[in-house]
Amino acid sequence: MDTSLPAKPRPHINAISRGFWENCRRGILSVQRCDDCGHQHYPGAPVCPSCLSSRQSWAPISGRGTLVSWVRFHRAYWDSFRADVPYAVCLVKLDEGPLMLSNFAGDAPAEPTIGALLEVVFEKVDSDLTLPKFRVRD
Amino acid sequence: MSTPSEAPRLRRAAAVVGIGHSDWVRDWSRARAGEKPADSYGYGMQAFSAALKDSGLRREDVDGLIAGPTTAYERLGEVLGINPRWGDQADAVLSVVQACSAIESGLADVVAIVYGNDQRTAGTQYGGPQAMGGDAFLSYVYHAPWGLTSQGALYALTFQAYKNARGMTEAELGEVAVAQRGWSSMNPNAIMRKRITVEDYMASRYVCEPLHLFDYCLINDGGVAMIIAEAEYAKRICETPVFIQGIGRSDLNRGATSLEPRLTDFYLPAQQQAAARSYAMAGFGPEDIDVLQVYDSFSVHVPLALEGYGYCAVGDAGKFLRERGIGPGGKLPTNTGGGHLSETYMQGWAHQIECVRQLRGTCGERQVPDCRHVHYTSDVAGKAVSLIYSR
Ligand SMILES: [Zn+2]
Repeated sequence: MDTSLPAKPRPHINAISRGFWENCRRGILSVQRCDDCGHQHYPGAPVCPSCLSSRQSWAPISGRGTLVSWVRFHRAYWDSFRADVPYAVCLVKLDEGPLMLSNFAGDAPAEPTIGALLEVVFEKVDSDLTLPKFRVRD
Repeated sequence: MSTPSEAPRLRRAAAVVGIGHSDWVRDWSRARAGEKPADSYGYGMQAFSAALKDSGLRREDVDGLIAGPTTAYERLGEVLGINPRWGDQADAVLSVVQACSAIESGLADVVAIVYGNDQRTAGTQYGGPQAMGGDAFLSYVYHAPWGLTSQGALYALTFQAYKNARGMTEAELGEVAVAQRGWSSMNPNAIMRKRITVEDYMASRYVCEPLHLFDYCLINDGGVAMIIAEAEYAKRICETPVFIQGIGRSDLNRGATSLEPRLTDFYLPAQQQAAARSYAMAGFGPEDIDVLQVYDSFSVHVPLALEGYGYCAVGDAGKFLRERGIGPGGKLPTNTGGGHLSETYMQGWAHQIECVRQLRGTCGERQVPDCRHVHYTSDVAGKAVSLIYSR
């Protein structure tokens, strides 16, 4: 890693979110699924928001969704994003229900279309971290 | 309205008898010159002194104290020299509600609500690595690995989805900033007073697209305070008491981190519930409101409020802004002091004293004639709150 570049913010990995990030490293997108009632949600939480059960697992999902919204940052709030501006951030409604915030993989479309069909792509940051991103699918 | 009143005992139970604020116009210049005029407690003290003087009461008459979110309660009480028999800590609108509740239940008779914030000179961050220490719950901290790194981006995401869903344009949103500058140009207490046009708005740079620079609030130092008293006592000591007439609240917390309440229904169900409750308690509806004040950390709050609190049909906010208008001469005078965008960013507190001034009839050039009812709304961090002030 080039240590002259400031580090980008990394996820806070804890007992709840660890399963999500381990799955990402293996190329699997997952949401938290309640072992008792089957409710699916993201990000992770200590208990199921539907039935309050603490028995939950990170369940693999299709990796498909639709574009709900997007923005383009013209200002960097972290020095580590300075070289990226302008850069896009998108919000995806997963086919399984939950919303997931992410980026477009590679170059973002010039004018992304809300409702566009998307699919997950995994971008390896380093040996510890892989970020899920999304690209437009046909 | 057929909705039952849910808090009728609080209707006109308490009234504002004193208002005060620091000189944020002067302190804006001083901060830009590298000075630090005061800390948060100092600004709170200046505002409290002004409010107490305005009320004609003595400090010993104050038996309740509510500190805003940016000062420690105990330290604020120490600085003000107040040992109350009841106390609390709350944001702008909930300070007013808590004061009414305490007064109605007999826990206090005269409550001072006090806010001070040195966010400009202290370099408080609403984005980036030092953002308010909220990494456990703030969605823009959770999502920082993907570059979602600011409060403004949440509203940019909201507006992008909203303009697609409702067919609103950027130029229509620009009407908000233009109207509020129209008001602030007539407000000697406003920091930004130069009028702008929709063309100026469209030519301004994007910060987080689709939001322009003019869609963002100022970041400045200052303090605001109000003295709220039991209603009968208020009538005896004050020529123009301003009563709290209606209160309503509704929260949407589920799915907050992934932005579900903002991005699917734009807070609409919560706003509609809060509106119905406050109108039922007040005994009238949006058609009777003379002035609207909207919490406007970003301009986007305003079209959402126009629809959510019943000032126009869902989907018509853009047309309403363009054709009927919220600025001087418009159909619905809104944020008549200039709001967070142009007057001062006091996190909703300065909006409260603007409500009182309009009802007292002391707004000078920007006074709305024969103002009887003023409506304040906020939808921040999942909670929609609706507050109606009346003469
Ligand atoms: Zn469950």
